[in-house]
Amino acid sequence: MLIVNRYKVLVALSLVCSVVGMSGCSSLGVEPWERDLLAKKEMALTSAPIDASLDDHIYFSKEATSGGRSFGGGGCGCN
Amino acid sequence: MKTIAIVMTALILFITHAQAKDSTSLQYKDVIKQYKGDVIYLDFWASWCTPCRKSFPWMNKIQQKYADKNFKVISVNLDAEPNLAKQFLASTPANFTILYDPDGSLAEELQLKGMPSSFIINAEGKIVSAHVGFTDKKKVNYEQEIEQLL
Amino acid sequence: MQLKAKKPNLKVMLTTASCALLGTTATVCAEETWQFDTAIMHYAEADRVSATEAIIAGTKTFKNDEILSLKLTIDALTGASPNGATAQPTPQTFTRPSGNGQYNVKAGDTPLDDTFHDTRVQLTGQWTQPLLKDYTVSVGGNFSKEYDYMSASLNGNVARDFNKKNTTLSAGMAYAYDVIEPEGGIPKPLSEMDVGDSNDPNFNDDFNKTRIASDESKSTIDLLFGVTQVINRQMIVQLNYSYSTVSGYMTDPFKIISSVNKNGESQAYLYENRPDERTKHAFFGQTKYHFDSGILDASYRYMTDDWQIDSHTFDFRYLIPFTNGHFIEPHFRLYTQSAAEFYQPFIAQDEAKPNFVSADYRIGELDTYTVGLKYGMPLGDGNNLSFRLEYYHQTPKDNGTQAIGVLKEVELYEQVDAIIVQVTYSF
Repeated sequence: MLIVNRYKVLVALSLVCSVVGMSGCSSLGVEPWERDLLAKKEMALTSAPIDASLDDHIYFSKEATSGGRSFGGGGCGCN
Repeated sequence: MKTIAIVMTALILFITHAQAKDSTSLQYKDVIKQYKGDVIYLDFWASWCTPCRKSFPWMNKIQQKYADKNFKVISVNLDAEPNLAKQFLASTPANFTILYDPDGSLAEELQLKGMPSSFIINAEGKIVSAHVGFTDKKKVNYEQEIEQLL
Repeated sequence: MQLKAKKPNLKVMLTTASCALLGTTATVCAEETWQFDTAIMHYAEADRVSATEAIIAGTKTFKNDEILSLKLTIDALTGASPNGATAQPTPQTFTRPSGNGQYNVKAGDTPLDDTFHDTRVQLTGQWTQPLLKDYTVSVGGNFSKEYDYMSASLNGNVARDFNKKNTTLSAGMAYAYDVIEPEGGIPKPLSEMDVGDSNDPNFNDDFNKTRIASDESKSTIDLLFGVTQVINRQMIVQLNYSYSTVSGYMTDPFKIISSVNKNGESQAYLYENRPDERTKHAFFGQTKYHFDSGILDASYRYMTDDWQIDSHTFDFRYLIPFTNGHFIEPHFRLYTQSAAEFYQPFIAQDEAKPNFVSADYRIGELDTYTVGLKYGMPLGDGNNLSFRLEYYHQTPKDNGTQAIGVLKEVELYEQVDAIIVQVTYSF
């Protein structure tokens, strides 16, 4: 059950690995039945889309930069 | 009675938090031995899995429909905390057998590729097909496969 | 156990209504309900612009995991915005952008134009569905209209899962077309503002000489590439690269720049002019980490463009849940940008007129920070209420331009304070 311990060492490689490609990333991650925390709404990459769109509008109007965020991935991984 | 309950709870807690796999973990051969002769729909679910919630009414329906044809729905819960499973069952009742695999040993043995996962097993105990996911489209296919074996 | 009459559940009623339309039975339909989010937000700068924004958004998941998302946004803007001219130790007079009248600014004050009272309505729709095994596609559109501005856009993206959904790659594209039709028309770039008397019979002719068109447009193409990776049971990371190219009218037709003499005294106000091309690159990284009960959301974005603007954005949120289901979430955001190469706080009269110039502090050197707090509570039946309060501070900075003469005695880079208040109700 506490398989997370096996992956502690690999956490440090996470950022490099993500850029390198998916074959290098096959050792990172969790089993499909270990996504209980990731399935929570609060763990979604954009967990408050209304707040995000209101903030984007403010900062787009007051600053010179906009966008950057995206979509796809995470969550319960359910099919 | 109270002492037995406390001891049992402590034992269950100890087992579910054990780091190493031990002999009380679910193993595929033990599960199948019990139901030899039946066509089995072996399903894996967890309380946090939304499509699992959608599959329960259908599993209730097919268990009832083919009950007299040597068919059994066995669903395995993969919640690390059995309490969450109990809460789920309180709002989404199940009229079929439920087994608990909190340390994921059976899931690992069968190498589940996603949630929910299901396996259709024939009367001889052989896995005929493995499926991932549950949608309206998919359930029709699953039911067809079951009918073919019965 | 309380004996309370059960209040009618709006969501259930709406679902039953739409189910009746589709002709499906109640038990099948019960699974597919609409999820609504409504919010009202007020943004207020001290002595400057205020905006109120209301959103109604609905999301529905269908039988085969298709998702339809619709959103209506209405916002109203009031108050005064800097017009780009510098403060002076003497009072100043400006002509309104429409040409209908003048307004005065006191000595020492940063000139603010209060002609902006505008209401905007925006409609957004997005459709997402799984395609084959491991692919998800999404298409959407957006339409926004206010008195003098229209924007329409389309977007599409595809995502593919790998490694038992631990890795997801996504690619997306969006196209937007914007039209601006300011009251008073498009000013001739770098021409002098006609500061006469609008009541004078000759004024309209003189004003029209500073106009070159009634409307202008621009097109934007955005490309987005991302990778999301589950690190472990508690942590997920996302990295995105986005490319954006804008072509068309990007000048602010309401902004001017002060042309000053050797003593820093304003001699004329010139309409600003920005390039008609802009290419941006942005790199974004985000991580979410689930501690024992708290959740951290940390992100960083680096943007660089061919206007020579570079920016860094740091954003941190920490969600602290309570046992009763309520939560509190502190928030901190830090932003810094370098000035556009054509940004100047003013022009020296005898300086050669540049092709492109703007005194808009929003494309100058700028630091901002935001501190905020969000409080949320579940209300039963899956309904949620939350409150957000934030403080936003902007510090425009000197981009290296030497202040001359009387400009040394006035505030060229006035700081801005704003409060953001928001209430959200989800059901």
